[in-house]
Amino acid sequence: MHAMTVDVIRRNNVVVRGRGTQPMLFAHGFGCDQNMWRYVAPAFEDDYRVVLFDYVGAGKSDWTAFDPGRYASLDGYAQDVLDVCHALDLRDTLFVGHSVSAMIGVLAANAEPERFASLVMVGPSPRYINDGTDYVGGFERADIEGLLETMDKNYIGWANFLAPAIMKNGERPELATELSDSFCAIDPVIAGQFARATFYADNRADLARVSVPSLVLQCADDIIAPRQVGEYVHRALPRSTFRQMMATGHCPHMSAPDETIRLIRDYLTGSAAA
Amino acid sequence: MLSFTDDGIVRYLNDTLARTLGYGEEELLGKHVESLLTIAGRIFYQTHFFPLLRLHGEASEIFLLLRHRDGTDIGAIVNARRRERDGTTLSDCTLMEVRERRRYEDELLRAKRAAEAANAELQARTTEVERVNALLLEQAAALEKQADQLREQAAELEVQSEELQALNDELMDRGEELELARSIAEEANRAKSIFLANMSHELRTPLNAIGGYVQLLEMEIHGPVTDDQRATLGRISRSQRHLLHLIDDLLNLARIEAGRVDYHLERVTTADLISGVLPMIEPQLATARLSLSVSATPGIVAVADREKAEQVLINLLTNAVKFTPAGGRVTVEACIAPEGEFALVSVGDSGIGIAPDQLQSIFEPFVQLRVRKSEGTGLGLAISRDLARGMGGDLRASSTPGKGSVFSLALPLAPPAG
Repeated sequence: MHAMTVDVIRRNNVVVRGRGTQPMLFAHGFGCDQNMWRYVAPAFEDDYRVVLFDYVGAGKSDWTAFDPGRYASLDGYAQDVLDVCHALDLRDTLFVGHSVSAMIGVLAANAEPERFASLVMVGPSPRYINDGTDYVGGFERADIEGLLETMDKNYIGWANFLAPAIMKNGERPELATELSDSFCAIDPVIAGQFARATFYADNRADLARVSVPSLVLQCADDIIAPRQVGEYVHRALPRSTFRQMMATGHCPHMSAPDETIRLIRDYLTGSAAA
Repeated sequence: MLSFTDDGIVRYLNDTLARTLGYGEEELLGKHVESLLTIAGRIFYQTHFFPLLRLHGEASEIFLLLRHRDGTDIGAIVNARRRERDGTTLSDCTLMEVRERRRYEDELLRAKRAAEAANAELQARTTEVERVNALLLEQAAALEKQADQLREQAAELEVQSEELQALNDELMDRGEELELARSIAEEANRAKSIFLANMSHELRTPLNAIGGYVQLLEMEIHGPVTDDQRATLGRISRSQRHLLHLIDDLLNLARIEAGRVDYHLERVTTADLISGVLPMIEPQLATARLSLSVSATPGIVAVADREKAEQVLINLLTNAVKFTPAGGRVTVEACIAPEGEFALVSVGDSGIGIAPDQLQSIFEPFVQLRVRKSEGTGLGLAISRDLARGMGGDLRASSTPGKGSVFSLALPLAPPAG
């Protein structure tokens, strides 16, 4: 049992910080790693036990643990979240998930609701592909194929062009390590599989089963998770709060960290009082 | 040229870019940068490009698909840097339209996909051969068992010779089935060989053409070449050589696995093996600023194919050089293995080492641990171990993370000269 605990910590590059007792688990989205929380997570370290991790195949996780069968769907990624919860024995957890991690959080909370206190969803979408006339996710399959092609080309490009260019940057040598850790070195096969698991997923039916309260943070002009999708998530989740943000785009935790921190804090203190 | 805020709002856009996209200079100001991109490009912008810019302050050589006003796609390479200006943070981008590069990349992608498909086909065929082999073995075992039973019955029931005759007939039939299965297996194996030869040709021919044309360009046959173009040609050329090398490795591995490698075994001293390979590796050691120490117990004689043993040692030494930081040490030792049956030639390094749970998987084809500065196909150790085993020996690895690794080529000891 102990051996397995150590294994998950290393496998998912789990980092624990902060001075509080209640766990706050931050889950990164597709295309990045736990670094994406660096402007938001520190703000909660005074009051919470902040836990960060990388999904297997991202960032500094153990890539040799990548099992194409397990990670063929978001269930495999939800199991990563639960593995981290088990390894640290997290209970009463505040889960903060960006983008696809919002749905990964839904799957994890449906599997073991007793471990979660609430879900904070930044830019959630339960299905990215349009479905007939009833549901507008924003994309057609051809768009996603185009994304996969763009990714493929950039992995060729990054491998041959970007890394040497960064290596030449003598003033900031730390860039080389960090960049190759989080972006440049990502295995194109793993990235492609994560993209498919993300953009071809349909988690609409899972929303109604969520028993813990949740916060939907909706950005303005978010192409990946448009407003009507955020509203759909809010309507389908039994105990959700919807907050429209001033921030635009899909990454408010990077483009507008102050607003993101404020809205999450408002929600957490509000629900604590309730 | 293009500048936009963290919110993606376009603050500056030069005339050339606006015209390339089919707009007037002012029309795109204040619009979102996403409106310049295809839908796929917008997703990529949000999931990769913007996070890269925001977390690292810059992004180089990113491929993005732009969208012309008329709906057509334009491939572009983007270099971007995020900086403070007049109290606002802006990302300044330079974009280069890349028709030609895109075409080469399309070719490369097509070649990559063709190679992947070919590999899948190869695996399917290998599986089929294995299945037929297993079937054959099963039938042979069943036959063996029946023959045993027959013999027992013959001894016990000599008088029932007629029955025995009948059973003998059955045995003959089985033999024919066995013969049929064997010819099917041979046919499948022949198909695999032909396929490998074809794949080699189909992949190498266009790759050699790429290399040849790059050389022509470099020789300025078609006119003068700028320094940037020359650098790009160098990159194409390196990629081409890498791919060629990958295919060679793949074919070598397939040949070894098919048992189509001849071993010329002879008596060789381990000291000879070591002194044969050191001159080849010394320039690399000097370039990597590594020291070398050699200690060899004299008089150890092994049975090996000299050329293949040297190939394995060069591979081990090249790996040691690759994975040891400058100032480190590479050691070469020859001794007799503790159990007394093998001569060991060991190559040690003072590199980062390998975690215990990864020691096994490094021998699998295509596995490379996460040290990104290294190049190569990940086939070196798999091939080396197959070669070592082909000579009746083996390849062993041990490591202490943080201290270094030792790879040992074990070769059968020669019997005392008579």
